[in-house]
Amino acid sequence: MKRILKYFKKIEPDKLKKPLLFSMWESFFTFFFVPKDTTSGIGTHIKDRMDLKRLMTFVVIGLIPAYIFGIYNIGHQHFLALGQFTDLSAGWNLKIAHGIIKLLPIFVVTMVIGLGWEFVFASKKGEGIEEGFLVSGALIPLIMPPDIPLWILAIAITFAVVLGKEVFGGTGMNIWNVALLARIFVFFAYPLAISGDEVWISGFDKIAAGVSPNYGWFHTGLFNTIFDWFGWAKFDPGWSIVDGFTGATPLAIAKDGGWDAVTQVYSTSDMLWGTIPGSIGETSKPLLLLGGLLILLTGIADWRITISAIIGIALSGFIFNMWGITPLMTIPWYYHFYIGGAVLAIFFMATDPVTASSTFRGKWIYGFMIGVIGMLIRVINPAYPEGWMLAILFMNSFAPLIDHFIISKHIKKRLKSE
Amino acid sequence: MEDFLNVFIKSAFVENLVLSYFLGMCSYLAVSKSVKTAMGLGLAVIFVLGITVPINWLINHYLLSEGGLLGMDLTFLRFILFIAVIASMVQLVEMVIEKMSPALYNSLGIFLPLITVNCAILGASLFMISREYNFSESVAFGLGGGFGWFLAIIAIAAIREKLKYSNIPAPLRGLGIAFIITGLMGMAFMGLMGIDPAIFFSGK
Repeated sequence: MKRILKYFKKIEPDKLKKPLLFSMWESFFTFFFVPKDTTSGIGTHIKDRMDLKRLMTFVVIGLIPAYIFGIYNIGHQHFLALGQFTDLSAGWNLKIAHGIIKLLPIFVVTMVIGLGWEFVFASKKGEGIEEGFLVSGALIPLIMPPDIPLWILAIAITFAVVLGKEVFGGTGMNIWNVALLARIFVFFAYPLAISGDEVWISGFDKIAAGVSPNYGWFHTGLFNTIFDWFGWAKFDPGWSIVDGFTGATPLAIAKDGGWDAVTQVYSTSDMLWGTIPGSIGETSKPLLLLGGLLILLTGIADWRITISAIIGIALSGFIFNMWGITPLMTIPWYYHFYIGGAVLAIFFMATDPVTASSTFRGKWIYGFMIGVIGMLIRVINPAYPEGWMLAILFMNSFAPLIDHFIISKHIKKRLKSE
Repeated sequence: MEDFLNVFIKSAFVENLVLSYFLGMCSYLAVSKSVKTAMGLGLAVIFVLGITVPINWLINHYLLSEGGLLGMDLTFLRFILFIAVIASMVQLVEMVIEKMSPALYNSLGIFLPLITVNCAILGASLFMISREYNFSESVAFGLGGGFGWFLAIIAIAAIREKLKYSNIPAPLRGLGIAFIITGLMGMAFMGLMGIDPAIFFSGK
């Protein structure tokens, strides 16, 4: 660490002469080091330098398991379509390679475009760089399909960062969740890129029996050469999709066939551990839970929102079970957590401290309503396959209102008691 | 009863007058600076809509249509009569608010009489005609549409109150950011679009 510190001190630019360069340097410097300014004794206490950046770093750490599994699952789904290496651990090198080839460009584009806009606005405003994009930038790749065209991604991120955050005054001022705004933009502007059965399986022009994967230089050139050295299995452009493979997600199957049809295709342990098609980071529930618990226990995300959202989902799922008139209503309420993006949404999206309600009682209402509305959209609304993105954005619009009523109620109570 | 609730839910949430038809924007943008006045105006709009739509239904059904009391097709008089009904209702609301709550009356200012030309109100009456609602449905549509408008305006008012503390770029302060908020709210409300409330009333 000392060597890194020395290096950073050596390249430190002049704050007054080159403000932009300095704020860029500072943002990387504070990534590694914290100032030691804490107070002792009487007065206002700074017990800990727990600033915005460290808060966000924890969320990013919480997402790492989902990233690792996401990379693996991109490859795994690809090979399930080909009917090769259908065991989870078989052909691991190919699966990881394919996952990296798909995920890395998405990640790089997200970070470059998003942070680029942050840099532009910071220099326009003449302020230091706010690294508010770290968490959004870590979440956005996780909620995209693996084959998303990069130019669509770039436009969506521009929309979300500029119109969703910077016009409101930057980090901490936005009303709607930035990551979800990026996704909803793709969802409404380029629906073919993000809905349907085919987009969740990467590496094919279309999903049909006999279609060969579209391998590029990275597959057959770079990685095949490396695998050749080690004597591992290699990518073969001659493979083709097996008969009967559809790539439909559990929710798409449940829409027509109900829960029985889903269990014929995917076992419940598949759905739990996440070896099913879906957005990159939403599939593996135990790993998301691991990261989610980390941010809940460290107090970065509020447990009230998560718990009340779980109650909302369970309750409305239970009511739908009792009712049971459409195929989607037959999904047992506890399996609603196994499919789709419910876990990712209630642990990482709904708990965003900026866009959620900020009063304690408001958080209970906010989380519960997310659970209920998300289930309504998922089960009742035929127009959308999944509801969490829309439910959270919907409740984001009402979070300030909930706070307003709760605060004015408190004020009235205080006035009365005096 | 089922039709009543069906139309109410649909007009309040699924087909929100502001956020999916973008009707009644001028007072929506102008009076949404604080939750309190927004609530006053929202309640006024619920009242006016809830009364004028059924009255206009009666007028249209019994006076203007060919099968009505006069026995002539007078539908070309629709606009003028509807506006007259709306204007008189707004006058009533104005008098009540001036008497009951002078503070609210002052803060609403010109926008209270301007409810008369709020396109959400006339729009609702015309929607009621074009969608061929019956009487109970038109009551539901009036109240539901008003409730949706009320919900939208208090939500944006709360957001704008929160934004008072934000460092919004100077050119966007005021109306500019209000338009952006409205657009993003419309996007968020799209989640409810496509829900058919009839499903809530279908048994097993």
